[in-house]
Amino acid sequence: MSGIGPVEPDGDTRPLEPPPTTPRPAHAPRPRLSHRQRAAAATAFVAVAVLVTGTLLHLTRPRPEPPPEPRFPSQTTSFRYLYMQVRGAGTTSPEIEFTIQALTESDAPVTVLDISQPYAGLSLTSTPATPLRVKGGASRKITVTVRVAECGKVPRNAGLPFLDVTLRNTRAKEAHSYILGARYARDLSTALEVACGYEKR
Amino acid sequence: MRQRSLIAITAALAAGALTLTACGSRDDNGGGSDSGNGDTTVVIGVDAPLTGDLSALGLGIKNSVDLATKIANKEKYVEGVTFKIEALDDQGQASVGQQNATKLVANKDVLGVVGPLNSSVGEAMQKVFDTAKLVEVSPANTNPALTQGVNWQTKKERPYKSYFRTATTDAIQGPFAAQYVFNEAKKKKVFVIDDKKTYGAGLAATFTAEFKELGGQVVGTEHINPESKDFSAVATKVKNSGADVVYYGGEYPQAGPLSKQIKEAGAKIPLVGGDGIYSADFIKLSGAAGAGDLATSVGAPVEALPSAKEFVANYKAEGYKEAYEAYGGYSYDSAWAIIEAVKKVVEDNDGKLPDDARAKVVDAMQNVSFDGVTGKVSFDEFGDATNKQLTVYTVKGGDWATVKSGTFTG
Repeated sequence: MSGIGPVEPDGDTRPLEPPPTTPRPAHAPRPRLSHRQRAAAATAFVAVAVLVTGTLLHLTRPRPEPPPEPRFPSQTTSFRYLYMQVRGAGTTSPEIEFTIQALTESDAPVTVLDISQPYAGLSLTSTPATPLRVKGGASRKITVTVRVAECGKVPRNAGLPFLDVTLRNTRAKEAHSYILGARYARDLSTALEVACGYEKR
Repeated sequence: MRQRSLIAITAALAAGALTLTACGSRDDNGGGSDSGNGDTTVVIGVDAPLTGDLSALGLGIKNSVDLATKIANKEKYVEGVTFKIEALDDQGQASVGQQNATKLVANKDVLGVVGPLNSSVGEAMQKVFDTAKLVEVSPANTNPALTQGVNWQTKKERPYKSYFRTATTDAIQGPFAAQYVFNEAKKKKVFVIDDKKTYGAGLAATFTAEFKELGGQVVGTEHINPESKDFSAVATKVKNSGADVVYYGGEYPQAGPLSKQIKEAGAKIPLVGGDGIYSADFIKLSGAAGAGDLATSVGAPVEALPSAKEFVANYKAEGYKEAYEAYGGYSYDSAWAIIEAVKKVVEDNDGKLPDDARAKVVDAMQNVSFDGVTGKVSFDEFGDATNKQLTVYTVKGGDWATVKSGTFTG
């Protein structure tokens, strides 16, 4: 056997004598331990104490916080309305084209799976086509083309029209409505008047 | 004996080690005492209905502000300042709210007020606070005029510099509901009812305007007396109108019985309301017939926000008897906005409150920005929250279930 093993006692390995059965007289001197016995006891005590303390410290050590769960995509993504135009006014198939900007927060990339709106008389397509990815901390312009299928089902003067968007990130897939504001609402109403005004003639 | 002594010593050492590690673990979590850390006491006033029909919402507001001050004190968030709250009950009455505003102004330790719940009460308090340059942050007022002036539809003009809110306005909430009801719930004929109060009538008006623009038809309108619980006459009118949906501008103490009585009259159509009916108490009051009723409320569902998890856990840990309800997260954020403003004022004045602390807090509030329970908290030039989210909920299985969320980015 080589290497470092447990410290073994040398010398006195006899079993300890049983404890006295008669009570020790008061003030009588305690039986004294040999130097070797005291050293062995102290070593054992320190070893146990270190083991217990070490185990406790290990179990109660501060642990790194788990990384925060990513937020839902609607919480990290916003859309801004930029501008709108009517293409093909005066033709039989006018189209409304508007541009929005998707913005994401840093380290929160998102995929736009779908862009739609809730009005029965309108259908949408986008360029770039969905699904499209927006990097974290970036913005991306998206051009949305609106085709008017049925003017009778189109609101002419909606105050806060929605744009419904389906988003996905590492946390979730989520359908969310974006309300692009009064300027978008006004421009959309004007564009629909132009588009549907032609149809009525 | 010797062995026993050794065991005893080891046990003592182990106990000591346990104590030490336990102490260490407390320190790692922030430690400190809830009793605060400084010599200066700053009081955050709370005004809400703490008794009466609307107390479920009011107590949720009070508890959430209390929680914010406890967290700030525990974290020693503002060096040298201990926050306390002074909560006053406005009973949902404008006149009581105005008296409360005067009381809070008279307490020099009050550097900000969270509340009230009702827009009509807020309207009555604004001038009192503004004259005293005391900041007020409402977690629940949604009437647009409070921040954008009575002519907000044509010319927005901020009436009071000291008034802020974390809730979205009815200028968005009403149209948001109309868009959902018309386009997605496919309801085309609405019967509109309101309680004639600032909030209820205002919300019903913004809903109605958008519903008409979308091509919907308003087949009847009625006003109810909020003191009454017998709406059988109105319910019969709804039944006879042929409406396929009811929109109610008002609060849950009336909305619950109204929904129940409309169904009992034979009109099996949903009642839709705003944040004033988004309460567990609405479900209790409307009974089983309320299944399928709808409410819009400000913000994204608190449970869907990772930022809200800690709030929910801390609220639970404090053991408040009442739920945080619809405005808990917004109340916490309103209080924290005041705490942030106080912190800025103290730090800019060498760690002490200046003599004109109230005015300074009003100025600081305009630039407050932090990640709160409900998302990013900051205010626009009118004092409105820049975070404008709304959610549609429906009564399902005896609880409110999320249907759809939207964000105003205009």
